[in-house]
Amino acid sequence: MANSDDLARIIIGCKSGYSKCFSQIVDMYASRCYGYFYRLTGNKDLSDELLSELFVKLVEKIASYKGGSFEGWLFRIASNIFHDYLRSKQRQKKLLNVHKEQIESEITEPKQSGNEQIDMLQTQLKRMDTDTRELIMLRFYSQLSFKEIAKMRSEPIGTTLAKLHRGLKKLRELME
Amino acid sequence: MNSRNDENLKDLFERFLSAEQAESGVEDIQKAEQILREHPAPEPDNMLIANIKAEIAMRLPAKRTNVFMKTAYRVAYAAATILIVSAISLSLFDNGARNGALGPGLQYNSIIPTAVWESDDITTDDADLAIFTIEIEQIEDELRTLQLGESAGNGDSSLSELEMELVAINNDFWKE
Repeated sequence: MANSDDLARIIIGCKSGYSKCFSQIVDMYASRCYGYFYRLTGNKDLSDELLSELFVKLVEKIASYKGGSFEGWLFRIASNIFHDYLRSKQRQKKLLNVHKEQIESEITEPKQSGNEQIDMLQTQLKRMDTDTRELIMLRFYSQLSFKEIAKMRSEPIGTTLAKLHRGLKKLRELME
Repeated sequence: MNSRNDENLKDLFERFLSAEQAESGVEDIQKAEQILREHPAPEPDNMLIANIKAEIAMRLPAKRTNVFMKTAYRVAYAAATILIVSAISLSLFDNGARNGALGPGLQYNSIIPTAVWESDDITTDDADLAIFTIEIEQIEDELRTLQLGESAGNGDSSLSELEMELVAINNDFWKE
């Protein structure tokens, strides 16, 4: 992982439009962002799609990055992409006149491709609500502090802390 | 996880819970995060990463061209605006000068005729002014002679005559 000076230089390179610097960002964050999308959707193909969308958005929006936590900024985009995906799914489902619960179940019950293993964690994550699952994944993959997460979600830090604690405690119980 | 996630969780929990509950909360979070670490999400395919990098590279020249074009357009707009404003200002100033008005409520008028103002030879252009000038010069000469005591006649009467003559000239001048 690059230190903050290196990261600052890479971001300046990205802002100047250097493809190599964007490649470095992809190498640095693709794994974490992919994990975030995968744990939220449970679907590899969909995670591929969302990850590609994230980096395309990064190219488009890099000029608007004005400093501060780059992870925070990047994962905010990732979170927005995930929510856009949820909304588009909801619209589709409304057209098909199917209940919201079924959307959730489709998101959390992905069609697994043949060579994909269903891991236990993913199975248990399906049993949690989307908001808690997203909060847990945001904390784990973005590596942001509670303060930063609370700011990102526009809620008091105590609320974030309580929700995450409840969620992780439940996950722990489910996994044990 | 990095140092940001090692923020003082205990202190944070203690802001909302008792010391004992805070300790338990920290333990819940740490153990749940340990479970997440033990169940890593799949990594993105190398092919996916390569495709993302290729897509970024493909989008960048267009983005750079767009930035260049935007800058060029901005400069062109600024230059055109300056030219238009300058042209309008000059046109208004010129019209104002021709019409004798520099702007609403501001008018000027020369007390000296243009022909006289621009003339190199006042004698031919304004005979009256030439006559007055000669008369004033004569009176000045006579005054100078009197002051020097060179006059042959009665000094007092000469002075009175000159004064009378000056008053007459003055009256004639303002009658014109």
